[in-house]
Amino acid sequence: MGKKILRINMSDMQTSYEDVPEKWARWAGRGLTSAITYDEVDPTCHPLGPNNKVVIAPGWVTGSPAAPSSGRTSFGGKSPLTGTIKEANSGGLSGQKIAKLGLAAIILEGVPKKDKWYTLVINKDGVEFEDASGLIGKGMYDVDEILWEQYPNEPAVIGIGQAGEMKLSNAGISVNDPENKPGRYAGRGGMGAVMGARGVKAIVVDDTDGPGVDIADADLFKQGRRKLTKAIGKHDLTKKDGGLNAFGTNVLMNIINEAGGLPTRNFSAGQFEGAALNSGEKVAEIVEERGGEGMTGHSCHPGCIIQCSNIYPDEDGSALVSCLEYETAWALGANCGIDDLDYIAKMTRECNDLGVDTIEAGNTIAIAMEAGVLEFGDKEGALKTFDEIREGTPLGRIYGQGVEATAKAFGVHRVPTVKGQSMPAYEPRAIKGIGVTYATTTMGADHTSGYTIAPEIAGVGGKVDPLADEDKDALSLTFQAATAFIDSTGYCLFIAFPILDIEEGWAGMAESVAGVTGLDITGDDVIEIGKEVLKMERLFNKAAGFTPADDRLPEFMRYEELPPHNVKWTMADEDLDEVYAWVQED
Amino acid sequence: MITVEVALYGTLARIQGGKYVAQTNVQVTNDATIKDLYEDLDISPQDRGYLFINAVLCDVPGLNAAIKEKLHDGDHIGIFSNGYMWPYQYRDGAQMSESLTSVLKEHGPLHHTYKKEE
Ligand code: SF4
Repeated sequence: MGKKILRINMSDMQTSYEDVPEKWARWAGRGLTSAITYDEVDPTCHPLGPNNKVVIAPGWVTGSPAAPSSGRTSFGGKSPLTGTIKEANSGGLSGQKIAKLGLAAIILEGVPKKDKWYTLVINKDGVEFEDASGLIGKGMYDVDEILWEQYPNEPAVIGIGQAGEMKLSNAGISVNDPENKPGRYAGRGGMGAVMGARGVKAIVVDDTDGPGVDIADADLFKQGRRKLTKAIGKHDLTKKDGGLNAFGTNVLMNIINEAGGLPTRNFSAGQFEGAALNSGEKVAEIVEERGGEGMTGHSCHPGCIIQCSNIYPDEDGSALVSCLEYETAWALGANCGIDDLDYIAKMTRECNDLGVDTIEAGNTIAIAMEAGVLEFGDKEGALKTFDEIREGTPLGRIYGQGVEATAKAFGVHRVPTVKGQSMPAYEPRAIKGIGVTYATTTMGADHTSGYTIAPEIAGVGGKVDPLADEDKDALSLTFQAATAFIDSTGYCLFIAFPILDIEEGWAGMAESVAGVTGLDITGDDVIEIGKEVLKMERLFNKAAGFTPADDRLPEFMRYEELPPHNVKWTMADEDLDEVYAWVQED
Repeated sequence: MITVEVALYGTLARIQGGKYVAQTNVQVTNDATIKDLYEDLDISPQDRGYLFINAVLCDVPGLNAAIKEKLHDGDHIGIFSNGYMWPYQYRDGAQMSESLTSVLKEHGPLHHTYKKEE
């Protein structure tokens, strides 16, 4: 049985299962959400209006048996935060269950005629529209718990917190983790507000007795899976007790701080004196000391063999929050001048409950601190900002709109955003390569848009010199394209390390995709396929009104020196324009 | 003798009495290099990961490119155990020592680790 596209129209409460049209047949994950958004969403539409959509798609290999670390789900549409196309992806339970129901994608469109909220229940028999009024005003911890009590088989719960109900631009989409906690987010870009605008509070996905995922060439798939699993298992970073397993993504905190590239106190310095106190190493120490439910080496979805997630314990050992990521610990920590993991964990729990992106939320608090509304380091005050959002006060609604709106409200001009989205945890003045990606990605400032793939492995060896400034544009494009490909596979981006260092792993990734899909894909095709995704995204943005002048880092980075290296952003605009100069309409 | 501040991250922290992070002052001779520091602290080549001197990247896993770097009084040295991640695109353009830059020119700078995997 071929995969289907499930279209759910909230205007007339109709659903349809459509064959995947030829033009989308080769896409999955981000490639598919971007293709559908490009084809079906008017780039000039208001993101919260009736003509935007939420497109949900698992990756190519998601749901296939024992493909390691492959349970990602992509969420796409037009972003209310940036006004660009958006793909945000998440771990959690949803990807595998959607895939096992035989679905290539779910398209959520229209707006309900009545001012009413719904829970959509999707299983092998179809879709039911349930009244969600009992869930309104509730945070995601309650929503996940209530829906698991209400529905059998421990389903995936995709949902929005109060921020999504209020249609705030920093509202993310939550996916429950294996413990049914709302720790996994398609966080960036406000897709939770787009879902809220469709009148959908939650989507319950139960894959019981679903058809499963067809494998086109089982031998090739198994061969690829074996190679990739082996590479993950022997790489120092991804193996059991390796860096990611032991310390999580927060293994980066001390490194970036040592390098002088840790944005501190609203991007005014590159080192934070309290970095070690917020680091993954400290989290591991606290987990060991407090015992109880805390753990490192946690999986965000069944079948992950890297297990970089964690459960941060409260002082009594009970689970406080999962997961404390590097970006989160940085945004709510160093960038706010806060060096207390317990507070950072409490704020992260608030983000997960209300349904706001932790990076944008931390950066927003830093703007409020810069404006003098709070002092840098005021952890109590920072924690209280989330009460404002929950209560929907005017101030809370400003915070919930993210960095740019808050900066405007308080007259702050040091605003670390590109295309409306604030920067993650790498200072582009100190680490210049990431600045090219921040400036030019189709998504607004985004660190995951340009992931590491060795160009020589990706088949473009010898074409760029990574140590020369003038080639940073070509490198950034290669990374962005490789990321667009990996985001389409369903594999977690962290497989990038073993496939980068171990050639067999690279071949294994491509073979497992070819084995599941029957597509003729080898490692040499990765960059070209990724570029096709980027081209659709770029053309969408162009039609939405974006020009090369939007591909710039914020002005203050050009005139303010960043300690300790005392560097400014010096990349020429013409070089940035080179990154996407190849994109032309057909 | 001169004094340098040494931060050890990951399992190496145990050498200086920490669990996963340790920062201490270490006395070394006036003409000491990173090699001497590694020897004083008993850090074997397979345990060495990223190394920074005063926020400048001087070594990456598997290369051993920093051993000749000379130490100065008051230097801050950050040494990471093997198995730490620093994805290339978050490292591309970070300040690097001259010796690391030239070694990377030979090896190609994009890998995560320069250790040969069997
Ligand atoms: S490596 Fe981490 S983020 Fe990736 S799938 Fe596994 S637990 Fe989730």
